[in-house]
Amino acid sequence: MSTVTIRPLLPSYRRANLNFRDRTNILLKPNYINYSIKSAPNARRFCSFKKLQKITVSSSTSTSTSPATSTDTTPVRPGDVFFKETFPLKRTHAVEGKMFVRLQKGKDEKNWQLSVGCNIPGKWILHWGVSFVGDNGSEWDQPPKKMRPPGSVSIKDYAIETPLKKLAEGDVFDQVNIDFDTRSDIAAINFVLKDEETGAWYQHRGRDFKVPLVDYLQHDGNVIGTKSTFGLWPGALGQLSKMILKADTSQSGIQDSSSESCELKQENKHLEGFYEELPIVKEIIIENTVSVSVRKCPETAKTLLNLETDLTGDVVVHWGVCRDDSKNWEIPAEPYPPETIVFKNKALRTLLQPKEGGKGCSRLFTLDEEFAGFLFVLKLNENTWLKCMENDFYIPLTSSSCLPAESVQEMLIPGKAEEATQEVSQTAYTAGIIKEIRNLVSDFSSDISRKTKSKEAQKSILLEIEKLAAEAYSIFRTTAPTFFEEAAVELEESKPPAKISPGTGTGFEILCQGFNWESHKSGRWYMELKEKATELSSLGFSVIWLPPPTESVSPEGYMPRDLYNLSSRYGNIDELKDVVNKFHDVGMKILGDVVLNHRCAHYQNQNGVWNIFGGRLNWDDRAVVADDPHFQGQGNKSSGDNFHAAPNIDHSQDFVRKDIKEWLCWLRNEIGYDGWRLDFVRGFWGGYVKDYLEATEPYFAVGEYWDSLSYTYGEMDHNQDAHRQRIIDWINAASGTAGAFDVTTKGILHSALDRCEYWRLSDEKGKPPGVVGWWPSRAVTFIENHDTGSTQGHWRFPGGREMQGYAYILTHPGTPSVFYDHIFSHYRQEIEALLSVRKRNKIHCRSRVEIVKAERDVYAAIIDEKVAMKLGPGHYEPPSGSQNWSFVTEGRDYKVWEAA
Amino acid sequence: MGNSQANVVKTGLPYRDSRVCCSYKNKIDDKVLFVNRVSFLGQNRSANLRKAQLRFCTKASVQSQPLPSDRDSGPLSSARPKSLDAVRLFVGLPLDTVSDANTVNHAKAIAAGLKALKLLGVEGVELPVWWGVAEKEAMGKYNWSGYLAVAEMVEKIGLKLHVSLCFHALKQPKIPLPDWVSQIGESQSSIFYTDQSGQQFKGCLSLAVDDLPVLDGKTPIQVYQEFCESFKSSFKPFMGTTITGISMGLGPDGELRYPSHHRLAKSSKIPGVGEFQCCDRNMLNLLQQHAEANGNPLWGLRGPHDAPSYDESPNSNSFFKDNGGSWESPYGDFFLSWYSSQLISHGNCLLSLASSTFGETGVSIYGKIPLIHSWYKTRSHPSELTAGLYNTAKRDGYAAVAEMFAKNSCKMILPGMDLSDEHQPRESFSSPESLLAQIRTACNKHGVEVSGQNSSVTGAPGGFEQMKKNLFGENVVDLFTYQRMGAYFFSPEHFPSFTKFVRNLNQLELHGDDLPVEEEVTESVHTNANTNIQVQAA
Repeated sequence: MSTVTIRPLLPSYRRANLNFRDRTNILLKPNYINYSIKSAPNARRFCSFKKLQKITVSSSTSTSTSPATSTDTTPVRPGDVFFKETFPLKRTHAVEGKMFVRLQKGKDEKNWQLSVGCNIPGKWILHWGVSFVGDNGSEWDQPPKKMRPPGSVSIKDYAIETPLKKLAEGDVFDQVNIDFDTRSDIAAINFVLKDEETGAWYQHRGRDFKVPLVDYLQHDGNVIGTKSTFGLWPGALGQLSKMILKADTSQSGIQDSSSESCELKQENKHLEGFYEELPIVKEIIIENTVSVSVRKCPETAKTLLNLETDLTGDVVVHWGVCRDDSKNWEIPAEPYPPETIVFKNKALRTLLQPKEGGKGCSRLFTLDEEFAGFLFVLKLNENTWLKCMENDFYIPLTSSSCLPAESVQEMLIPGKAEEATQEVSQTAYTAGIIKEIRNLVSDFSSDISRKTKSKEAQKSILLEIEKLAAEAYSIFRTTAPTFFEEAAVELEESKPPAKISPGTGTGFEILCQGFNWESHKSGRWYMELKEKATELSSLGFSVIWLPPPTESVSPEGYMPRDLYNLSSRYGNIDELKDVVNKFHDVGMKILGDVVLNHRCAHYQNQNGVWNIFGGRLNWDDRAVVADDPHFQGQGNKSSGDNFHAAPNIDHSQDFVRKDIKEWLCWLRNEIGYDGWRLDFVRGFWGGYVKDYLEATEPYFAVGEYWDSLSYTYGEMDHNQDAHRQRIIDWINAASGTAGAFDVTTKGILHSALDRCEYWRLSDEKGKPPGVVGWWPSRAVTFIENHDTGSTQGHWRFPGGREMQGYAYILTHPGTPSVFYDHIFSHYRQEIEALLSVRKRNKIHCRSRVEIVKAERDVYAAIIDEKVAMKLGPGHYEPPSGSQNWSFVTEGRDYKVWEAA
Repeated sequence: MGNSQANVVKTGLPYRDSRVCCSYKNKIDDKVLFVNRVSFLGQNRSANLRKAQLRFCTKASVQSQPLPSDRDSGPLSSARPKSLDAVRLFVGLPLDTVSDANTVNHAKAIAAGLKALKLLGVEGVELPVWWGVAEKEAMGKYNWSGYLAVAEMVEKIGLKLHVSLCFHALKQPKIPLPDWVSQIGESQSSIFYTDQSGQQFKGCLSLAVDDLPVLDGKTPIQVYQEFCESFKSSFKPFMGTTITGISMGLGPDGELRYPSHHRLAKSSKIPGVGEFQCCDRNMLNLLQQHAEANGNPLWGLRGPHDAPSYDESPNSNSFFKDNGGSWESPYGDFFLSWYSSQLISHGNCLLSLASSTFGETGVSIYGKIPLIHSWYKTRSHPSELTAGLYNTAKRDGYAAVAEMFAKNSCKMILPGMDLSDEHQPRESFSSPESLLAQIRTACNKHGVEVSGQNSSVTGAPGGFEQMKKNLFGENVVDLFTYQRMGAYFFSPEHFPSFTKFVRNLNQLELHGDDLPVEEEVTESVHTNANTNIQVQAA
């Protein structure tokens, strides 16, 4: 049983404009202060239980392992140790402190100063930008150079990061001062505070802090300053934030401020200084471990249990023993270890003995043989107890062989309980549906509504059936080894691959991602790309993926607002049609990048929350999922993960799906898109995707289902089946109508190439380890895109290894996608050579790959018996048998041959 | 979608689905079942009446149970709702639903699957109950916990349950006979079937030992009987309510036949004729006695010497030759009559046992007949003959079988309803459709109700069309069991066509002329829930 830690793939990071949607207007709605979280400083202590290691040493083997419990006075004979385990002890420690925001006059009326400080020790960063007078959007801009304090770093073109520093020795607060000239046209200063140690963001009511410098920003619910008060929110990024701000805000202040703001409205450019303090709590995670080893003492027939931890200070073990599985605590007979007291006749409390050298403490317990288990919790002080997943630690004391299993079962119990709960709720849900159906049926007396009602009912039931079937399928398939992985593929293979199946093309597609993160900057990307159409086609690409076309709150297009407004930073609708026509002329298909998961609102609801849409699709808050508190949606709960920066669309609403289908069809017909690249499909159920794809019948479609691979101890696991399974599950939920980006393959390539671990490129069955190994015709392989690479670099492919990556995906099955930046770089010739190998040998998405080598320093495969390739510095030559192999191309650590 | 997604990646928010919000806990009332159910005219009213008279039992003291009264009511035209008889659709649960450790395998998947089926309007599910699981360790030591858990799940969802008692073993997934039986078999190999070359079939006990005290002093029939009794008392709360039907395992794969084809090579597409399984000591004893009683002691020394072996075609030896084959000789008739009558009396024995055990519980009893369709178009029907069904161009072998079923008031499960002639290899002289028709005719004649099943688990070509054909028109089936839930069943390749199939049945119902106008869209007619039947041996 090993610990699987999910390591974040990406550094936490945010754009300034992500969070502006949540406009709670504090001035108008004073009761909103209730939203702030009250955090009791000492209430959160927990210890999560993970098995770090498990060593079971049977008495007949192993004389070499020397247990770590060497502080014992009794010599330990390894052969006697039958239980040894290290449990992690994780607790959060809350540090309380304050931050302040101060606006004050500087050296004269013209020069003012904004200061932000924080008195909790740590590495604090102010992430800030400004808004200029006349800016309508909520995007930030970079402040003028002279405003930037020394040490500032610019983040893209919209923000600055400035570290907080102690201004003088002995200062309590770390702070940063920003001087500015009131005569400039800066309308407001926006900021968030960032804790660089934990990556937590500290925002103001779920949004950025905003200090208005001109009055008309006052209506914006997020202002801070003058007499307004703070309402605090732990951050729009929800669980990401490790900081909790204590609720405070005074009722009176709010009322004041609303009147104040009215007055301010009439006065222009009148600044008033202010000073506000906000209590904040920073949660620090402290990780320790406790190790327990148990052995028999043959001389005394006693059980010796050694407990050892790296906790310091006075650590008390609150313990007892039990005789059976029921785990009833009881107190053993004396003698007890030194420094033990009996606590209320129910347990014993033993103080651990500091180890020599001061690193942690330990104690040896001698127990009678008759007991089955040792139960304990650790006590640091009256308020701090360390438990094992809310339970007592349980150490089995008998050495029979079934023990490890027992303790494993022990661990499973919480999980089981969870499952059971879910089970119940699901039953309840189905029962609910059935009840609704019954109501519908009994409603049939009303003749008029009857037909439509029953139709709706039938529809919703069919949808539910599909969902359940998908669920059942995914479980059956994983439990039954007969998974159709290659069976399905095999079936497909027997057909001639040239047949076009909806959504998945001919099988011979090669994609080009036709933009990067900076493409919006020129303002005429469509026209620039148009000039490259012929060139891209002649390189061998058959599909181009264009950037998201809709009006968007962020310039890159992924925060769409009015879906029917196709004026974006990439160009207007006519230019879009123009570029589409051009690509059609050169024989390429066009994928539209459609963002269906979320949509930015146009208006606020009565609570001041931005969740009412405008434009042609003027949805109301029923179109927004109900489970993101920031947007107060009235729809159903989300069918997937939430994207927190904008209202997530509730695809379970019929009107929403109808509108989206119409919109997609409009894009198909009006613009001429041939298919889709679906953004953030983790956000909603794949069955809806199927619905959309069936309605629009795209030539090709690919979804972005991106989540983290599994890591153990910071090392990527060899087996990424669970990861690719999640992607496959999504494809299945969409009934195979769309492919998905093969994130698994990218992740494995990272490790394999970067660390020279080419063995990773074969799974346990000797197939490619990514999605492409299981369902090649639905895998869209890639090594980089606008998020992972480009100027964002969230998960960049190992530098200098890109061509190896391309040598892999361009010779292997799956549908490869090549990133724009790489095509127009010094890699161009090598990519071109690989593209022509793929085309010449008619390698397609279902090509057969035979892995002939997967060793530490070399990977080699033969594809369709026509192309041989190797990666890595190790040696490989294709076999000189019946086939005659001739060398075609090579580069750094890769080489490709063709069958003659 | 850059940054923010990065954040989500990091947090891995656990929002999964929307289901948690509902908190209804109403028990599902199966009467509200809203979706489709196939209804059509039943036609064997008279047959049922006759059956009531025919019912008696040879072995045990069997009661004759009154027929469900609604069947006896009036002519077709008068009482319409009653005359609508529904094909009740069942779906088989995975063969290894309960593991040999008595836990429920893939419970979550089954739970979800049951809900989906319920919503789809399926009547119930079929559950294989294995001898080798429930009485695994020692004779008389039963463990029903896993099966009880499944029954509870099914009841909670509001589905019906058809139980198949399986006294055979299975290779895939591997479900062996009870450990203690296998042990006995090691020292006493004659409890298993044996072919001409001495090869044994260890997938079930030989019918020749039915009445011999080979199992630690008990006869297999006694052991089966006790198994049934224990099942009955353990599942008492479900009997007649959730459990509406029980099928009795009759042989290999639960079917009434000899394991004549168990060594077929997979490579060949054309099935061979199979082999007679009469060479274990006890079978030979019976044959010897029979031969002596007939005054031909020499005929009792062994089975036919000129029969082909498993993979071979009928003409590779002289026994099955279409013209002048030994099967037409007096010896042939002697042997085949004996061989097939042994099978029928074995079936009779087990079905009467089941009828007497479960007779008063309100469940219907079923037995399964194989559909051995290869070589059907030859005169000698060799594959059927080796399997013990004495059916040739000259003799109707199924009449006696149907009669035996009628005698025990049992319904007959017929597999292969998804098989069509056109998809059979021509060289196999196969005709599943004609064979099915023949058996159904025999059943009609004897008033035996038929329940259908598909044979191919991975979907026969044109299977759904064929099944529809077999469920409508002149073909009366009181129940159809679709095989079988699992990964393939719910896969995107299959599940949509299954849904379509179910909805098609519904469609037919909607357009049927004999439907009252008011049942227009989605409601269905529910006549009765309990008088039913299910099928299915694994």
